[in-house]
Amino acid sequence: MFPRPRRLVTALIVTATATACTAGNQSPAATGPKADAPQTIEVWHGWSAPHEVKAFQDAIAGFHRLHPNITVKLVKGQDDTKILNVVRGGNPPDVVSSFSTDNVGQFCSSGALQNLTPFLQKDKVDLNMFPKAVQDYTQYKGDRCTLPLLADDYALYSNKALMKGDQPPKTISELTALAKKLTVRNPDGTIKVAGFLPSVTYYEHVPEHIAPSFGVTWLNSQGRANFATDPGFTKYLQWEKSLLDWYGYANVKKFVHSMGQEFEASNPFEKGKVAMAIDGEWRTKFLQQEAPNVQYDTTPIPVNDDRQSAFGGGFITGTIIGIPRGAKHPQASWEFVKYLTTNTDALVTFANGLGNVPSTIPALSSPKLTLPPQFHTFLDVFKNPNSTTIPSTINGGDFIVKFLSFVQDQWEPGKVPNLQEGLQTLDKNVNDALRLAGG
Amino acid sequence: MAAALPLGPVTASRARRRHRLRVLAFMSPWLVGFSLFFAYPLAATVYFSFFRYNLFQLQPIGLTNYRFLFKDPYAWTAIKNTLWLVVVMVPLRVLFGLGLAQLLTKIKRGGTILRSVFYLPFLIPPVAATVAFVFVVNPGTGPINGIAGKIGIHLPDWFNDPTWTKPGLTLLALWGIGDVMIILLASLLDVPKSLYEAAAIDGANAWQQFRRITLPTISPVLMFSAVTGVIQTLQYFTQAMVAANASQGNADQAGTTTAPGYPDGASLTFPQTLYNEGFQQFNMGYACVLALVLFAVAMFFTLILLRQFHAFGDDD
Amino acid sequence: MTGTTVAVRRSPVLSPRRAGGRRQRRRRRLYWIATHAIAIALAIMFLAPLIFMFITAVMSSNETLTGGLWPRSWHWENFGQALTTDNGVMVRWLVNTLIYAVLATVFMLVSSVPVAYALARFRFRGRKPAFVLVITTMMLPPQVTIVPLYIMWARFQLTGTLWPLIIPMLFGDAFSIFLLRQFLVTIPKEYADAARVDGCGEVGTMLRVILPMARPAIAAVALFQFFYAWNDYFGPLIYTKPESWTLAVGLSTFRAAHHVEWNLTMAATLLTVLPVMIVFFLAQRVFIQGVTLTGVKG
Repeated sequence: MFPRPRRLVTALIVTATATACTAGNQSPAATGPKADAPQTIEVWHGWSAPHEVKAFQDAIAGFHRLHPNITVKLVKGQDDTKILNVVRGGNPPDVVSSFSTDNVGQFCSSGALQNLTPFLQKDKVDLNMFPKAVQDYTQYKGDRCTLPLLADDYALYSNKALMKGDQPPKTISELTALAKKLTVRNPDGTIKVAGFLPSVTYYEHVPEHIAPSFGVTWLNSQGRANFATDPGFTKYLQWEKSLLDWYGYANVKKFVHSMGQEFEASNPFEKGKVAMAIDGEWRTKFLQQEAPNVQYDTTPIPVNDDRQSAFGGGFITGTIIGIPRGAKHPQASWEFVKYLTTNTDALVTFANGLGNVPSTIPALSSPKLTLPPQFHTFLDVFKNPNSTTIPSTINGGDFIVKFLSFVQDQWEPGKVPNLQEGLQTLDKNVNDALRLAGG
Repeated sequence: MAAALPLGPVTASRARRRHRLRVLAFMSPWLVGFSLFFAYPLAATVYFSFFRYNLFQLQPIGLTNYRFLFKDPYAWTAIKNTLWLVVVMVPLRVLFGLGLAQLLTKIKRGGTILRSVFYLPFLIPPVAATVAFVFVVNPGTGPINGIAGKIGIHLPDWFNDPTWTKPGLTLLALWGIGDVMIILLASLLDVPKSLYEAAAIDGANAWQQFRRITLPTISPVLMFSAVTGVIQTLQYFTQAMVAANASQGNADQAGTTTAPGYPDGASLTFPQTLYNEGFQQFNMGYACVLALVLFAVAMFFTLILLRQFHAFGDDD
Repeated sequence: MTGTTVAVRRSPVLSPRRAGGRRQRRRRRLYWIATHAIAIALAIMFLAPLIFMFITAVMSSNETLTGGLWPRSWHWENFGQALTTDNGVMVRWLVNTLIYAVLATVFMLVSSVPVAYALARFRFRGRKPAFVLVITTMMLPPQVTIVPLYIMWARFQLTGTLWPLIIPMLFGDAFSIFLLRQFLVTIPKEYADAARVDGCGEVGTMLRVILPMARPAIAAVALFQFFYAWNDYFGPLIYTKPESWTLAVGLSTFRAAHHVEWNLTMAATLLTVLPVMIVFFLAQRVFIQGVTLTGVKG
């Protein structure tokens, strides 16, 4: 009654080869209905707040005028797991966009998102309209399966009232001194106002935003983890821990647990409970809406004292957009992606609505950008050659997740007796996982 | 009768064939289901364990997936955690269930209501029970710690402190004791009363009665509860996953990935690593290796259980 | 328990002195007080989380964070808000859950009853191994076969829907087969034989004679299946996408989506729990009999 082993194996092999054969050998530029045929395309994106959804609709108004035959159905609030699942399931939407660049390596190398090069060549799109770092994080080993749709970068916000006349710091030692000076404690030693919280558990103070100040290189030339071999990581971690210990780990933990939500008016920077914090450019928009009375400055993230010449750069990332494998209307999808990522008006409208950085060089210098004066720091950081991003790997942001959990769960609570050994183990774990995924 | 004799073998074989067809017809749903949804996937799990497969590309890689098992820190954390739960949570659940069942046999008036009260939490959907439990014992906002604080007891930060996460999950499991309790209660009520009477006449005290009469009579059921408890614990997933998500405040934004098993891997159970590798990282081949490990361990305990069924005196 | 009572009652007769009897009575009363006190204390502890859930659900959003024990004002609208938030997404989860639970239950009954019947009443070669396999598949964790099953459903383009959870129910559910079979073997053979003498075929015997007698067991497996689907988290987590989420998966994302609004989260949680509780109180006997059947009558 049970299937015979041999027949079962045959069936399996047929299944398996059939699966393997469908992977990535279509020529996408020529399939599906023509772009000028009437059709509806489904677009998945991650934004969810009402003002964000509206900004997207405003940004594509011009597309509707240009292509009245294409109806766009926007589906909000999607993330990478859902995108990967639906593409793997074989019935994907026509266009997907993701907040995170972590999975570009996976998207491209697996063929989950189509290589856009044939489309780009056909329409002669010049990639140099995107800044260098942006070109990097939207491709993987030469496979360009995504394009940038707006960008984010990071800088230091300082609350003018709490700074009491001090200038924003430019080096790590200035930052440390000021952080201590501006901190106000309760009688029992707990934190009332924090100068600068070094912990990675404070919203945007994750390693990828701060470690670049110490000149770290995430992966070595073979694409392997570099945590133990690059002294920058040790410097970063030791600075982080020494400032953390000055506050007291328990005090920081207590403060972090009791602080409000990052994207609500209860955010501690907006509440005046934190003097200096690293945050993304979108915070200008939130401050405008939720805490219009807070006087603040923005300056590039301080750099370690041995690399003062690199001051002015920062961490760059952005939203990406692409066309999944198996999309039903690739031609129309491409028109949509091309319009949204290269049209200056669309990018400027969208950037104004979200308070994000537009992702092309022409849009960056558009006079129509209506953003607060503090925003200019972000435009400058974006153009600065010292700005860096996170490299793509085949298993997404796995190395950064592992590093974050090392810092948060091992290093900060003081469970690492020997840092060098700890980092070596970390490197090994990261590399093992990379190898398993075929990287 | 005599006339029918020559026809005998023919009718008999026809009847046999009819009987066989009837059996086949009645059994067919399960035969298909077993082949398609159990035998085939089990064989395929073995097959895929020799491949690197992300649902797009299938690549034979020999024993690489098996070798990775010995290097995978998540898998070992998960094995340790699951073992902890098997060693601590399962015995506690059986003991607590037995205690409650014993207590219920002593209560005459209101016994039915109490039984329902103790059984009720078991019925609450696990996701709902976990979300509620995490909130109620949350030291910052939850009311339980507030009450404890007033009477001077300082309770731990259950689901944010790696040391207390598994005890917290155990507490949650004790709250949902209903299934174990009901089974044990039924078996306690099945113990012949005459045995107790005879023992009482012989002057045996309560403990002696329990030790000499109750325990031997219900021991197969205790054994059953323990073994099924172990098998359930091997697939412990929902509560650990939901507790981690509900207590981890900072992972709210889309696009942020965090290490599994918050806090510090303390809530990472074995099925969770399987889920994480297979359906988050899409290392499908490696997930198959994890599935086979789970299969081997679960099969071992299933065999114990099957032997016990035999001991119960199966049919014939 | 009657046994103990009888024993205790008899002991004064056996004891030679009246003083000893009085001491015994006092001990009995103390014992009574102790057991009842423990039972009541435990009952309060078992109910406390549910009560706090309810109290939190009717609090204002700010109040939930203060650890207060009693709402300053009662916000009954929280339940409505939980249902209508995000364009009534909870109602959609509820509908999905009902589709899953109802179809899975109906399909399970249609497919499992004949199998259980065959295992209980027919004699054939391979019956015992088949029953052993049923128990084995029932015991093994669902995660063991999930990877190839997911790959299979993905090839049928059915991932993202509830079908991968519903369709297998057309092909028998091991737990239900096991439980039904355990009940059916207890029905004396004579009933079936009598029916057969009356000219019923095997299907007729099953439908008209045996199944009516097995009604409590059928009700129990149906309820278990319904609850299993209602509570299932792993299955929908693997297969569904937001449009097809069930209450269990939706609820697990609810708090993240509503940040610190614990009152709404608790209201949503209570709304998920409520149907289960109502069904339980209506069908308590069926339940407890069913659970007992799984464990004791091996």
